[in-house]
Order: sequence, then C-alpha cells, then structure tokens
Amino acid sequence: MEIEVQLTNGPIAGKISPPRLAAHGAWLEFRGAVRDEENGEKISALEYEAYPEMAVREIRRILESLALKHLCLAAKAIHRVGIIPVGEAAIYVGIASRHRAEAIALLGEFMSQLKQGVPIWKRRALPVGARLSQPQHVGMGEHVGNIGRAAAGTTALRSLDEAMSEIISRCPPLPAVRAPLAEAFGRVLRETICAPEDLPPVDRSTRDGYAILTNDDSENFQIVDTLHAADWKPRQLKSGEAVRVATGASLPCENLRVVMQENVERTGDQIRIMRRETAANISFHGEDLRAGEPLLRAGAKLDAGALALLATAGNVNPLVSPRLRIVHFTTGDEIIPPDQTPRPGQIRDSNWFLIRGLLQYIPCDLTQAHLPENFEQAKCLVSTFSLEPSAFDLLLVSGGASVGEKDFTRALLEMLGFEIVFSQINLRPGRPLIFGVNGSRAAFGLPGNPLSHFVCFHFAVATALARLTGGEPPKFLRGQLAEKLDDKPCPRETLWPAKWEIGPDATARLRPLAWANSGNVACLALANALVRVPANRGSVETGAEVDFLPLKYS
Amino acid sequence: MRILFFAQLKDATGCDAVDFAPPSPLNREQLWAMLLEKFPGLREHRGNVRLTRNWEYADADAQFTNADEVALIPPVSGG
Repeated sequence: MEIEVQLTNGPIAGKISPPRLAAHGAWLEFRGAVRDEENGEKISALEYEAYPEMAVREIRRILESLALKHLCLAAKAIHRVGIIPVGEAAIYVGIASRHRAEAIALLGEFMSQLKQGVPIWKRRALPVGARLSQPQHVGMGEHVGNIGRAAAGTTALRSLDEAMSEIISRCPPLPAVRAPLAEAFGRVLRETICAPEDLPPVDRSTRDGYAILTNDDSENFQIVDTLHAADWKPRQLKSGEAVRVATGASLPCENLRVVMQENVERTGDQIRIMRRETAANISFHGEDLRAGEPLLRAGAKLDAGALALLATAGNVNPLVSPRLRIVHFTTGDEIIPPDQTPRPGQIRDSNWFLIRGLLQYIPCDLTQAHLPENFEQAKCLVSTFSLEPSAFDLLLVSGGASVGEKDFTRALLEMLGFEIVFSQINLRPGRPLIFGVNGSRAAFGLPGNPLSHFVCFHFAVATALARLTGGEPPKFLRGQLAEKLDDKPCPRETLWPAKWEIGPDATARLRPLAWANSGNVACLALANALVRVPANRGSVETGAEVDFLPLKYS
Repeated sequence: MRILFFAQLKDATGCDAVDFAPPSPLNREQLWAMLLEKFPGLREHRGNVRLTRNWEYADADAQFTNADEVALIPPVSGG
C-alpha cells in the first residue's frame, strides 16, 4: 500500500501522475475547490490553516485504515493551506484500486472522516475585492502577530517590531522542491519526516558473544550457528543451543540474551558460561525509534546530522526550500575596490564581502555588481542583467553614503516593479532601510554604512531569508549584561553590537562592544549578538536583563 | 510542555503557542484548570475543543508531561 500525503502552501499541480502499479485498474481523482460564496456572502478566497504535523499523520492514518477496509492499492492526498482563491483546489485525492467501486467507496469515507478529525481549518473568508497579494499570514505552522493591523503608509517611520512583522507577512515561503540529499545541506525541510520502520528493525547484539534463550539455565551450550553483522539467518533457538554473534549482528529470534565472550569458556563448538550478567546486551527492535514517529519536523534546517538521519531513513529526496537566487548591487561613487588605495573622500568597499560572507550560510546563487551613482548609467547597467521578475528571489542594494542614496535605491526598486512597503525605521543604526515586494520577490535597500548594513542584514534580511525558505525567523532572547553598556539616551531604539556567551550559571552573558557611529567597522569582526536598547534609555548597568538577537549568520 | 492554539483559539488567547513547565504530569482536568487560569477566554470554547498529545487525539485518561506537545483543536473544517 503506497500512501503519500502532503500539505502545500502553493497551488496543487494541474496534472498528477497515478502511481506505477501493474495491478490497478482504477485511478480515481478528486479535487475539492473553493466555492465563490461562504455563508451566503460572495468571496474571492478562503484562508486555510493547519496543524501540519498532525494533519499529515491523521490523513495518513485514515487512508491506511480505509485502504485495508476497501482493498485499495495506493492513495495520494494533498491539502493546500494559506490563501486559496475561488475556483482553485483546496484538496486533491487520488486513489488506485483494482476496480472503481473500491476507490469510490474509499473516497466518500475519506472525505467525511477528514472533515471530522483532521486538524485543518477554514480560517477566514476574503470578501470580493480583497488583495490576495497581501496574505496576513501564510505558512505551515508559522503565524504572525498583529493580524489585521492597518497598513501604515510607506513613508511612516516603522518600529523594529513593526518592520519585522511586515517582512514576515509580506515574504511568504517560496514553493518547496524535492532535492537529492547531496544538494540538501543548509536547506529548510518543508515536510515532516517520519521513521519508515522501527529502528533498529530487528533485535541486534551490542557485544561480541553468544546468544542464548533468556531463561536458559543450561550450563553447557552447543554452538549451532555464527552470525556476522551483515547476516540475516532467522531460526528458533532451543534450550542448550547458542549462536556465536558479532557486535551489530541481527539476532535469529526474539527472547534472547547475549553472553559476552569474556564470560564464557569455549571448547570446540561447546561453551560453558563462567559468569552470568543481568544485562541482555541487546539493542531491541524499535528501541531508537518506532515506525511513524517524527524524525525531523518541517522547518528544520538540514545540517550534517539531519542529513545523516534522512540517509538512515532512506529518504533521499526530501521536500526542501529551493536554492535562493539573490542579486546584490553596491552603489556609490566613493566606493573603490579593496585592493586600491583610497584618496581623500573615498572608502574601500566592505559591503560586497560582508554580503558575500553572510550569504555563505544559506544555499543560494549570488550575483553581485557595482552600480554607478548616476541613475541613467545605473539603469543601463541593470538592464544588462536582464532582471526579469522570474530571474531572482531576493534583491539587495547597498546604498552609497551620499545624500541621494535613498532616492536612488527607491527609484531603482520601483523601476524593477517593486512596491515599497516601508523606507524608514526608527532604529539606530539603520534608519534608512527600504523594504519592497514584487509578487513573491523581496528587495531591501540597505544603508551603506557597514555597521548599519550588518545590523539591517541580521534583523531584516535574515527575517526575509527565513520566511522565503520556510524556516524560523530570528527571535530575540533574554540575557544579562556582563559589562555596562555606556550610552547617551537616544530617541530611537538601538541594536547594539555585542559578544555573547553562556555564563557558568547557564544564562546568556553579553559584553557590549565599543561603537561610536554607524560607519564603525571594528566591532563587526567580534559581534555575534545585537542587544536591544529601548528608546531614551541611555546607559544600561552591568547585570541588567536585556533582549538580544543572537546572530545566526556569524 | 508546549501548548498550541489554532484557528479561533488564537483569537481567544491572543497567541499561537505557550510553554508551561508543570512540576508533574497533568491529567485532563488539571491541564484545563491551568489553561483557563491563564486564558479565561478559552472557557466558552472548552465544550468544543479536543486535546491532542504528540500529534494524536488524547485519551480520556491521558497524562500530559513536560516533554509533550499539546494542541487545542477546535471543530475542524478542512476539505
């Protein structure tokens, strides 16, 4: 019985292939679409929400039990979540069976059980005329605060929290793809992977020794077989019989114990037990994991350990975030390549390497270029990149330090079809931060000063990267200042570069780094955290509790 | 233990998840008592809410421990 269950944020494919089974005579497909009215009101879309891990398990459980009852051969169910426009499918079910009657019976029962117990909800209806491009929250298991807050104008100064929640709500996850394990490192898992079988699948010896029946009190044993790690030779042992086993060998039957070889005396093919231990010396079947238990949850970042786990489970093509396509432009006529010596008024370009370095932490294809400050020339150069909307997922523009930088970036983004969501935040450093969206693409205009750039990347760009890939956006943690944070009251909220470590009492301890102005680069090489200092606070004393952002990309 | 809220229960509680660390396992009544104390807005939903423990509907005599993921499931409406 082959069962596949998916939850998806995007449209369900128009054509889905039936399973390749020789025996099936019927392949029944059903699509349930969103109607144009809900409770008597005309609507343009429905928003669905799910408890993803459980919904997938419940659908699978229902399909498994119904498939046994109706003797079906294969089933596939896909439920879409997020905002689904009228006319598009919310659910797809495909069932293979020998004859049509079984599949039709299963479908009917499945749909009624789904509507009773699978944790998926119609969250709200969007009236006709609502803007579908502004999901208030889309995502599997991720939910955004401030739902329903009226959008402020793009020129209004945003607070840090407002900016982060707007980025979260305007950057829904990109459609997931299947990737071979060898290319999956660093991607975000977009499905929950369950153990396909008990692990270990059979009882295994944890010692070199002799397997005997658990309650066998015989003094002497006849060795009836020898098992190496790769052997699989089931047999029922009798009293007085022993099997020579190597560490890791699959045991021939249940109810055994393994006597360590150090505790027996062997003569030819006979052994005598010199010392009996209480330990069975067996890794019992299902001890590590039971079939169906989640191994990795959707949203997990695939590190080396996670890849090893997927390989163990035989999952060689996990559903993951796509490799991001990122374009980065630096701007400003005062910027020179780092191998040149700056004349007065010039500075070496550090942002190129900052962005390049920060993006090493996520799987992406990065294109970088420097743009001239003259907008007409810049437009010309940009046009040579043939930046069609489908060619990239994220655009970053590092502004020059000149007066006109904001207008330049803004005009550039607008020329590329971006809607500017906000262009200023009430933050030090990093006030002139621009955020725009164009369909599923996001763009940031980052202030040119290296420290502002660093700070904006870590709270704003990192939030967008997490959302686009379906991962967990950066979150502030609580910690304690190990040294005084020396500051004058500032009318803006501040993200102060700091170094954090876990103290002896297991709390996070933060040392603020010296920092004079937003162009200061010395602390970039040390910072691994940003401490949040409320507006007008001034100095914060040693020992005070503070919120801080641990830097994922450092 | 992590407790998740879905659909209208998010509106009732104002959040989508909360972490509790009860000193010992809780039965259904004790769990509800704790929830209602923190989120009185859940009271009117209680009759319609099913509890889950680690991605399965919980039995009547289930014990909820610190290691569990618990969810409050209001009436579902998928499909």
